[in-house]
Amino acid sequence: MYQEILKLLNFGTLEIEKIVNKITTHKYNPFYYHGALPQFYLWVLYLSGLLLFAYYIPTVDNAYLSKSLVNAWTSVDYITKTLPFGAIFRGMHRYAGDAMVITIILHMIRVWFTDRYRQYRWVQWTSGILLFVLVLFIGQTGYYLVWDDRSLGLTRMTVTSLAWLPIIGQPLKHWFLNGDLISNLTMSNFLFIHIGLSFSLLFFLWIHYVRMTRPVLTPPPAINYILVALVLLVVFLCPINSGQMANLNHQPTTFDIDWFFLFPYWLMAKVSLLSYWLIMFLGVGALTIIPWFIRTKPVEAAEVVTNKCTGCSLCYRDCPWQAIEMVVAPANSRFKLLATVKPYRCTGCGVCVGACAFDAIDVPNLPDAQVLDQIKGLVSAS
Amino acid sequence: MSEKKKVLAFMCERSVEINETDLQNISDVGVIKFPCSGMIQPLMIEAALKAGACGVVVTGCQLGDCFYREGNKLLKERLLGERPPGLKKTVDRRRVLGLWLSKLQKSRFIDDTKEFTNFVTSLK
Repeated sequence: MYQEILKLLNFGTLEIEKIVNKITTHKYNPFYYHGALPQFYLWVLYLSGLLLFAYYIPTVDNAYLSKSLVNAWTSVDYITKTLPFGAIFRGMHRYAGDAMVITIILHMIRVWFTDRYRQYRWVQWTSGILLFVLVLFIGQTGYYLVWDDRSLGLTRMTVTSLAWLPIIGQPLKHWFLNGDLISNLTMSNFLFIHIGLSFSLLFFLWIHYVRMTRPVLTPPPAINYILVALVLLVVFLCPINSGQMANLNHQPTTFDIDWFFLFPYWLMAKVSLLSYWLIMFLGVGALTIIPWFIRTKPVEAAEVVTNKCTGCSLCYRDCPWQAIEMVVAPANSRFKLLATVKPYRCTGCGVCVGACAFDAIDVPNLPDAQVLDQIKGLVSAS
Repeated sequence: MSEKKKVLAFMCERSVEINETDLQNISDVGVIKFPCSGMIQPLMIEAALKAGACGVVVTGCQLGDCFYREGNKLLKERLLGERPPGLKKTVDRRRVLGLWLSKLQKSRFIDDTKEFTNFVTSLK
């Protein structure tokens, strides 16, 4: 049942892509760069974030309301109102984040519907879920940094929910606030989490990409321009304004919600903390184990015919899964190198067979000799 | 295995799906299935032509959308001589047709294959 639905969805995806292909040609079809789209927005976020970082001041000071008051809120206000193009960069940073979440979801849906998430791709899927959760959390910390009413509300909600957790709750709260109360140290901690975790994304992206040869990291320039233009369009259509400066003596009751990042807070306001954490953990857990819903027999890995391999490393270069490693050939060999297959990475696709000019690598399901027999059988049968 | 096939189609399993009735429709074509078009060696195409086939059709997924990431792109580059191993120079390039189609484009596969079959059988 589940598989039949997936098959239908696969056909639907292909149908949509066929239509898009007619408009854009396959070279510029954004669906064929679905993984590169969030990656591109990540670069946009890094660059716009760098500029914001230069002017941002991570303090919550508002004990006195003098004209020279300097804190997170006023520095953001300065960026938005005084700094040339500041509002645009701030808007880009906000909306590129939203765009990144949208493109990540698209990416996820496409690999799911086209059956490219399980078996030998489980590393990519699980690291992808981790990346998604991290991106959401980083995005949320971005909302604390503005230090308006909403930031205060979100911070307090986060603290309540963290402190509720048994055993690790109090230490987590302490870590999150960088102390027991909201102070200047809290703000520098938020800034550190926001930026530090953003760079830790690169590490998890490495895991995400490590099994792929030549991962598609950048869409063609034409698509990049459109991606930036889309963000800029939204920046001009819906300019960003901070709310009122946060006042620690005041508890904000309502605020607007960015549905891409802040939906957990909406949930938190609706249900009890127990159900909130249950939904969060079970949700992420369910997403993580999706690749194992369908049982398939394991892939039979390609096998090198040791006495034929010349160590030319053509298969090593072509394997799309980094599953072939060139090792030093045994002492009695005429050649310097020998190809070896890492069976846990092999997908059985046979690209290495196509790359080999010496018939020195075989896929157990369909050896070369069998193909040649079939060819002769079909052509010369009478 | 009744009659001699004039044209061989090396087909990616993830690309166009062919059933029995389609096969009767294009009776001159013999089909060999591969897990991925990237598995097709130029040597196999040469072997087919040498064994007496008039032409070879190669189908892979829509370019840009290989299930195994790059198979169709690699094969295309090999056939065009941009990536080793390539086809021998003596191979008549008119007798090799590459089709890059998604699962939905069966009718196009049948039309193009028919046209190609007529073309290669008229050669010589």
